[in-house]
Amino acid sequence: MKLPLILFLVAAVVPVFFGKIRSAPFWLAMQAVALGWSSAAQHGEWSGHALAALVEVLLVRAVIAPLLLRRAIRGRGEPNLDLMPSNLFAWAIAIALLVLAFEFGAPEMSDRHALALGAVGATVAVSLLLLAANDAPPAQLVAVLFMENAIALFESLLPEPWPLPVHLALSAIYLLTVGVGAWLIGRPEASTVRATPAHAVEEGGRP
Amino acid sequence: MSVSSATTTATPALPGVPSVRVPWAGPVLVGFALAAFIATVAVFVRTPLAQMPLYFAQRYFVLDATSMLFLLVINSVFLGIAVYMSSLARRSPALAPKMKSRTALTLAFMVAMNLGVMANHLLLLWAFIELTTVCAAPLVAQGESLQPRRVAWHYLLYSSMSLALTFLGIMCLTRSAHLQGIALEFALDEMAMVVPSSGDGWQRLGLALMLFGLGSKLGLAPLYSWLPETYEASPTSTSALLAAVQFNISVVAVLRVLQVFRGQDTGFVLHELLVMGCLSLVIAAVQVMAARNYKRLIAYACVSSSGVIAIGLSVGKAAAYGVLLYVVSAAFVKALLFLTAGRLRSVYRTNESKALAGVIRVLPFSGALFAVGTFALLGFPPFGSFMAEMLILSGIVQAGNLIAFTLLCTMLTIIFVATGRAIFPMIWGEPEQQRPPVREGWLTAVPKLGFVTVLVLLGVYTPRPIAQLLTQVAQSIGGQ
Repeated sequence: MKLPLILFLVAAVVPVFFGKIRSAPFWLAMQAVALGWSSAAQHGEWSGHALAALVEVLLVRAVIAPLLLRRAIRGRGEPNLDLMPSNLFAWAIAIALLVLAFEFGAPEMSDRHALALGAVGATVAVSLLLLAANDAPPAQLVAVLFMENAIALFESLLPEPWPLPVHLALSAIYLLTVGVGAWLIGRPEASTVRATPAHAVEEGGRP
Repeated sequence: MSVSSATTTATPALPGVPSVRVPWAGPVLVGFALAAFIATVAVFVRTPLAQMPLYFAQRYFVLDATSMLFLLVINSVFLGIAVYMSSLARRSPALAPKMKSRTALTLAFMVAMNLGVMANHLLLLWAFIELTTVCAAPLVAQGESLQPRRVAWHYLLYSSMSLALTFLGIMCLTRSAHLQGIALEFALDEMAMVVPSSGDGWQRLGLALMLFGLGSKLGLAPLYSWLPETYEASPTSTSALLAAVQFNISVVAVLRVLQVFRGQDTGFVLHELLVMGCLSLVIAAVQVMAARNYKRLIAYACVSSSGVIAIGLSVGKAAAYGVLLYVVSAAFVKALLFLTAGRLRSVYRTNESKALAGVIRVLPFSGALFAVGTFALLGFPPFGSFMAEMLILSGIVQAGNLIAFTLLCTMLTIIFVATGRAIFPMIWGEPEQQRPPVREGWLTAVPKLGFVTVLVLLGVYTPRPIAQLLTQVAQSIGGQ
């Protein structure tokens, strides 16, 4: 099944080159749909485990996480800038990283495994590039979520799907990371700065 | 120097801010900490080391020498932190509105810590480390200004990236096992038996990524910058939780990895640890020289102690016991210093060392404790850190790595001089403005005195059961 992998790759690479920050939740949801498709294909036949894993991926990664991210981005009220600053230098590095990701380990594997590994490698590489190129907190959160999705895709390289408890634990961690991350960044900086009374920071923090 | 009666200096409530007291928060924290401490000690006393490991919850958790040692450390340290937080909640109405969330997050953090230390499943251990981070991030963000929130975000971001790299490492290990026809189940005890002895490129990449990710959680260079920033900007009790408690779960994860791959050729990974350790020491030495802020100085001392631990682990068997003694001592030293720093800050309302000149005359007990903590941090006798550093240095010499020995000695000397230059005038110097002495409560003094006692015991006379426990853990990572 190469189609879900291609879909995932498209959803990971296109926004880095052409996407705006407010479109990031859509691309995240698309990655999650590709993950769910890949997971369903890996399970082969329908079972309770397969269904639960699919529902978990679609609910948490395709619905809740993008919604939380969208709310955080809107809450900041910042201009809708490029996800990665568009310049020739960043593009050249991104393309080089994508080529390297597909070269990595490909000779030893079947086409499908090489494609899956390439998709994981490419997503991790562009996430790291995104972190290096854009220091805006929403873009950083998007990069972290891209990387988490790449890790989830790595499962398709394994002989057996994760047991359900592992799926649930990873989903819970993913959800908590998005929730806490969105809460931390989802407040415009200028409107919240106020004088901090000495008593309020009695115990710590910078004066 | 004497500790006065139980009089505390209450901070007045903020004008315009309703004082919402949460009277149960302090007792709940202390009650939980006391129960965890008593339960851990009871299990330690009643379970002979020969009977370990004991598995439970379908073998997802294990009580072995490693988990026992770190349960004892984290629950002892947490008892002190809980008493401090409880005392703070009583005397500071300004903090009362935050106490409910702070208590809930701290308890969740400690539950995750205890379970994580006992995890016998690599993925479960990873998940618990991430969970402690998610619980700690809102604690870091607790403050009225924007800055703590930004710092908390950086902390979460760095942690997520470090743990993502660790997870990628786990995936590479799985891929390696799969290519060699082995099904990896991730139970740590079984992994040690099934991991192929002839490691391929995937296995080496996996191990390198895992240790790089976990090293970043320990505050090792190059991904260390979150640590000083977070420790400085967090509330002091949170800094103590991160430095003296959460640090240990990352150490446990590194020890578990080394236990699993003990029989393998891990030379390249040990070199990775050595490079990260040396780099961390150099960075810490430079930054300690530049530090004019006592919380930041303690934070960079934490980076340097991570460097010493990494170098010790890279040496392997000769220094294993020393490394463990160092880890245990460091937990108590960091807790002592951060909690005392919190007390100093509550009186002076600044983190600048210069403003605290002559602190021992204003806060005789806290000033003396800060001096004792600094001496322990610098590795003076009779504290455990002195003994541990000597054992590590001796192990490095035995391993014949004279470059690492020279670098370690040089950097520790620089840190020693730079710390002394910043801290000693702060404690004994001449103040710019005279202040009357402040009376100090005995309640928060008790755990700090307990920490000092433990540090001295570790250096002078380690009780036999503890020494046996340390030896058994050292042997599990190939030590003597």
